[in-house]
Amino acid sequence: MIRRRGTRLGAPAVLADGRALSGAMLRQLFVGQCLVLALHLAWMPAWLVGVAVAVAGYRHVQLRRRLPRAGILLRLVAVAGVLVALWLQYGTLHGMEGLIGLLLGVYLLKLLETHSRRDARVVVLIGLVTTTVAFLHDQGILMALGALLAVAWLVQSLVWLAGAGGARQAWRETAWLLVLSAPLMALLFLVFPRLGPLWNMPQVDRASTGLTDEIAPGDIAQLSRSDARAFRVRFDGREPAPAERYWRVYTLSHFDGERWTRAEPRRLAAALGRPEGDFVREASRSPWLAETAPRFTAELLLEPDSRPWRPSLGAPLATDTRQRFLADGTLEGLTPLSSRSLLRLESTGLSPANPDPAGPGWHAMLPPRGNARTRELAERLWQESGGEPRAFLAAIMARFGEAPFRYTLSPPRLTSADRVDEFLFESRAGYCTHYASALAVLARAVGLPARVVAGFLGGERHPDGHFTVRDYDAHAWVEVWLDGGWQRIDPTAAIAPERIEEGAQAVDDGGEAFLADAPFSPLRMREIGWINRLRLDWERLEYRWQRGVIGYQREARSAFMSRLTARLQAFWAWLAEAAPGRGTFAALLGLLVAGAGLAVGALLLRLGWRRHREGRDERVLMRRLQAWLARRDLGPRPGESPSAHLRRIALLAGGAGPALDECAQQLERLRYARLGAAERRERRRRLVQRAAEVRRRLRRGPARA
Amino acid sequence: MFWRGARQRWWRRVAIAPGTALPQRRLFLLPTRFGLGWAGLVLLLLLFGINYQNTLAYILAFWLLALGVVTLLRTWRNLLGVSATLRLPQEVFAGGEARLGMHLTGGRPRTALELHGGGASARVDLPDGQGEATLALPAPRRGVQPLPLLRLETRWPLGLVRALAWLECRESLLVYPRPLDDEEPGHRLAGAGLEATDFAGLRRAEPGDSPARLAWKQWSRTGVLAAKAFSVPPRQQLWLDYDACRGDPERRLSLLCARVLAHHRAGDRYGLRLPGVTLPQGEGPRQRREALEALARCVPPGAQGAER
Repeated sequence: MIRRRGTRLGAPAVLADGRALSGAMLRQLFVGQCLVLALHLAWMPAWLVGVAVAVAGYRHVQLRRRLPRAGILLRLVAVAGVLVALWLQYGTLHGMEGLIGLLLGVYLLKLLETHSRRDARVVVLIGLVTTTVAFLHDQGILMALGALLAVAWLVQSLVWLAGAGGARQAWRETAWLLVLSAPLMALLFLVFPRLGPLWNMPQVDRASTGLTDEIAPGDIAQLSRSDARAFRVRFDGREPAPAERYWRVYTLSHFDGERWTRAEPRRLAAALGRPEGDFVREASRSPWLAETAPRFTAELLLEPDSRPWRPSLGAPLATDTRQRFLADGTLEGLTPLSSRSLLRLESTGLSPANPDPAGPGWHAMLPPRGNARTRELAERLWQESGGEPRAFLAAIMARFGEAPFRYTLSPPRLTSADRVDEFLFESRAGYCTHYASALAVLARAVGLPARVVAGFLGGERHPDGHFTVRDYDAHAWVEVWLDGGWQRIDPTAAIAPERIEEGAQAVDDGGEAFLADAPFSPLRMREIGWINRLRLDWERLEYRWQRGVIGYQREARSAFMSRLTARLQAFWAWLAEAAPGRGTFAALLGLLVAGAGLAVGALLLRLGWRRHREGRDERVLMRRLQAWLARRDLGPRPGESPSAHLRRIALLAGGAGPALDECAQQLERLRYARLGAAERRERRRRLVQRAAEVRRRLRRGPARA
Repeated sequence: MFWRGARQRWWRRVAIAPGTALPQRRLFLLPTRFGLGWAGLVLLLLLFGINYQNTLAYILAFWLLALGVVTLLRTWRNLLGVSATLRLPQEVFAGGEARLGMHLTGGRPRTALELHGGGASARVDLPDGQGEATLALPAPRRGVQPLPLLRLETRWPLGLVRALAWLECRESLLVYPRPLDDEEPGHRLAGAGLEATDFAGLRRAEPGDSPARLAWKQWSRTGVLAAKAFSVPPRQQLWLDYDACRGDPERRLSLLCARVLAHHRAGDRYGLRLPGVTLPQGEGPRQRREALEALARCVPPGAQGAER
């Protein structure tokens, strides 16, 4: 019966010669490749699927028809083909995409020359590396689940290679391995110290989502077509009301007649001939707004982006890590984000109160010519409001609120050189960028320092309290220097107040532009209750995953560790509390320790005593002596009694002979004679001595049988 | 050379005798090359996680590391407590192989145990705690061959580490000479066709007697079941003589071996004269065994120096 089962349990991974892989094993490896490839599917060139199928088909035919293995020429041609295709695809092989494509190609082509168990293991190792590389693209829940499946499959392939007898056994062993290793993995994950990057690695190029640092009327409409997530945020304490959710990202202070551009600190410093430190400082607390009390404490979960922008609700005051604080009250990271990460941020919720070091002149600068009708209008309104800035701004806002001006996401294109004129006097239709641009130009035309702020307005609040801010929440407004501080003026509030109160989707005029690039977005189905609920649940789960697991980096880990220590200390304090007094508690602890020590000591003592007793027991002594003799090729024959063995050996043992004889005699006496306690002790002592003598003499004189 | 000797000695020191359950102290864990590659992979993934600040890469690196640790334990546990008992092969001729039987007991299911030794290896699973393995040791030369040190090892479940233990068997193999048929026609034997044909009387029937040989008539008459006994015609009585053969000593022994086998098949009575040993004439399996053993142990004159 054993034999029958033995034959059933063959080695299916490897053929009978013990070396070549079976077709079943190659299929296993191919399925593993497919699973790993599935993780890359959304980012890799599609023709790699063709490569996978071609290689697998080739191997299939080769095994079926018993054709010879793929020769070196074919393999070289295949590798060269993949290289050329990648080069054609990306134009270079140096970029991260090219490298990943190369890795995938190597992984797939390796199947061509996979013949032995060792090759198969190499394929699995490359598969694990390739799985990891997929995490560069995404670290969401779905990716994690897909990777789990792929890794389980790869581990299962290894179990097959190690000689599993059937699928049931292989999967059971895989499940055991994964389950048993999970706690250790979790422990390592929690306590392993997190380091910063050790050296620079090539990064995956990311399309910049969100805002650009240049706004011409027309840009933000592009953003409103996308439902991509910009960032997520959770507030400690007070949450901002809808009209307070102005996320500042960039200020645009340079106007060339057509578009507003951002004056980066370095360029600004170079242009004005001042040190860069006047415009930006690296710190974890704002050097520009030292004494302001924070109104909002937020924890942002930022999406990866190729630019280092960090949104802040109002002007930033403090962060948990070092960031670049710009003098215009915005924030930048030290590096672009290659993966989602957390940022804790305290902010004012208001426009900054500090003057910009570039000076009021910089912020009132306009091109010397152009937009003549706008300048004329500004002069007229300024005259009418009696040189009073607030009245002047109110007049502009009132003008925007009047009939010919309308808010639309698909305005007519502005083509002339004097775009502001064209907008204010001809088209009179536009969205936030048009109005903000016009307002800032009007203010500057009468010498009021003004700048355009690009950022986000709004955010969807989830039932669990976190907000999601998406690309279509992008917004632009104006800040004007009034009464010793920057004041936020949002012209959109005059034209489309529902945009501020209800969010971007409220001004969806006909739907042709809003979410135009996301035809299948679940956000389109907000009105259907259960779909919306499902979407919210999924987003909550995803948020928790990103925040709790993926966001578990340096800061989160140190926070967790300090919480852990705090818990321990609290527990300690509770113990001290629970015990009637410190003295009693100490005594209790001391007793506990002493008790444990005693128990361990007693255990050790018993163990030692048993060994000692065993050492005195002639049977044990004899067993040890015989084992020792056996190692020197003087072992007992089957069925030989110990004393007979010793006597037989004694004849061969030369110098050790008498001692062996005496050992045999003592042994017999001890075993069979009636002895008094004293004599027994004495004889045992003799036996120990003689046994030692036997060893000594035999070791000295190599007497071999 | 020195190291090899030292290694062998150390292996012998830590080897256990067959029949005992593998104790913890005699069981060793060594990483395989694939295991070292695995360690490299974990390091690579960890660096990847650090440099890209990639949490999932961290998780995967830790998981693979944990898998390695768990594998260590499971590999170790797969071999711990296995005991092997040896079954020596019935007879081995030089140039053939000695099929060494191993009965392995593990108490619980074990998978993918491997047995190595003397250039041969075998694989066995113990799905219900026990199993059989056969190790086909090559036996190139005649004589007394000590059994090689056997290595029992396993790489289950992932092949990252191998657990191994050494088994040392006291027994030795007696390898008979390789039978070599004589080309000289004078020694051709024609006795293979001899049949017992002469009726020699009746004897008591025993279970296993062929029905054709039972004395049915007697049974119907007396009620006692008897079997007819036949006697074999007189056979050759002969001596196989070492000195009568030609060639170098091993060739002569091989020739003698082939003749012993042939005469045994023919049912002849034969004796054996070897240098220093004379086996009196006899027949039957016992005679055959003794003759073959004498051939195996024979030390030809003038070969003492050459034989180790």
